[in-house]
Amino acid sequence: MVEQTRRWRWGVNRWLVLLFIILGFMAARAYPPILPHVQLPAEALSEQPLVTLPGIGPLYLTNTLIALLIVDVLLILMAVGIRRATSGGALMLGGVAGAVEALLEALYNLTESTAGKWARSIFPWMATIVLLVLLANWLELIPGVDSIGLLHHSDEGYRIETLTTVGATEVQTIVTGGEEGHVEDGFSLVPFVRVPATDLNFTLGLALISVVMTQVMGIRALGAAYFSKFFNVSTLFSKPLFGAIDFGVGLLEIISEFSKVLSFAFRLFGNVFAGSILLFVIGTLVPVFAQTLVLMLEFFVGMIQALIFGMLTMVFMSQAVAGHGHGAEEGAH
Amino acid sequence: MELEAATILGKLIGAGLAAIGVAGGGIGIGVVSGGAVQAIGRNPDAAGAIQTNMILGIAFAEATAIYALVVALLILFVF
Repeated sequence: MVEQTRRWRWGVNRWLVLLFIILGFMAARAYPPILPHVQLPAEALSEQPLVTLPGIGPLYLTNTLIALLIVDVLLILMAVGIRRATSGGALMLGGVAGAVEALLEALYNLTESTAGKWARSIFPWMATIVLLVLLANWLELIPGVDSIGLLHHSDEGYRIETLTTVGATEVQTIVTGGEEGHVEDGFSLVPFVRVPATDLNFTLGLALISVVMTQVMGIRALGAAYFSKFFNVSTLFSKPLFGAIDFGVGLLEIISEFSKVLSFAFRLFGNVFAGSILLFVIGTLVPVFAQTLVLMLEFFVGMIQALIFGMLTMVFMSQAVAGHGHGAEEGAH
Repeated sequence: MELEAATILGKLIGAGLAAIGVAGGGIGIGVVSGGAVQAIGRNPDAAGAIQTNMILGIAFAEATAIYALVVALLILFVF
């Protein structure tokens, strides 16, 4: 089989990469990057809360909430676009619609191989979690996220300088000015958009949804007999010693469900938060090109963490619908 | 030593000590991947299923390492 292969040649892309490296070098010389003020809770963007619920308290508009709204809009646009592409009647979709279709097909095959006939109920939860966390993690790669925002007074701040004036607002940037470093009356940056998974509220909420829906699936499949997984009195009277052990193991399963919530929440939170801190620190130490390598790592980490969250949800749900006998043998957790 | 300096000293040392726990995650991931690579070597046709289970095992092992990292970050940024 003789193929006419084209000789691989350098194209125009190498000049674009070189241009961007040179521009990055010049920008880093003009305005050296600083280490932003990292804090664990998400920063509120306004002094006034959005709404004050009577029992719960004030809810602020945080920058992770804005990022999550952007992800929601992107997902809805994607759904509408794919809907329009499939209703056109074409057998093969091209472009973004085709890529998403391939991803969903791969996820559905994975679900079917593990869940069997419950795949139709389990798949929507798993695929929604995967797509949501995937888009939320990949939001970090867009320039402007975590770097454009409001400048607030802070005691660990820097001097600022006005670049341009657009209408009534001034576009300002932070200048370090060599050895001056922190100044008394300085400013620090509060980004408009911050990756949602760096907020423990988002990951904890998703984890709670996942674990609660696992219980609901189990109840839907097995009825009230689902709770015999936790209160296992089937062998308590026939074989007293082993029955007591089984009862204790059943009570431990309840603790295991709570540890699943914590495990889900902290796995996603830790990965993405540590990744964003790594981005900041590497961006400060080596301003030119080193952040690109870290961004590639973040690309893969984000994708893998989304898949892991979805796959674990799917595995726990299929264990829940399969019942006590099968679940104990698989024993993934 | 004043309280503020002592707090910062304690925070930095505590975060450094907490980060030692990440070593367990590395060892665990190595063990899982070694087992998976051996299994693929014995039975190359089952590579797909083995890979899926390997990724699952790596996620569990890495989660424990991430817990240690979260403790270190908690010490640095919250206390």
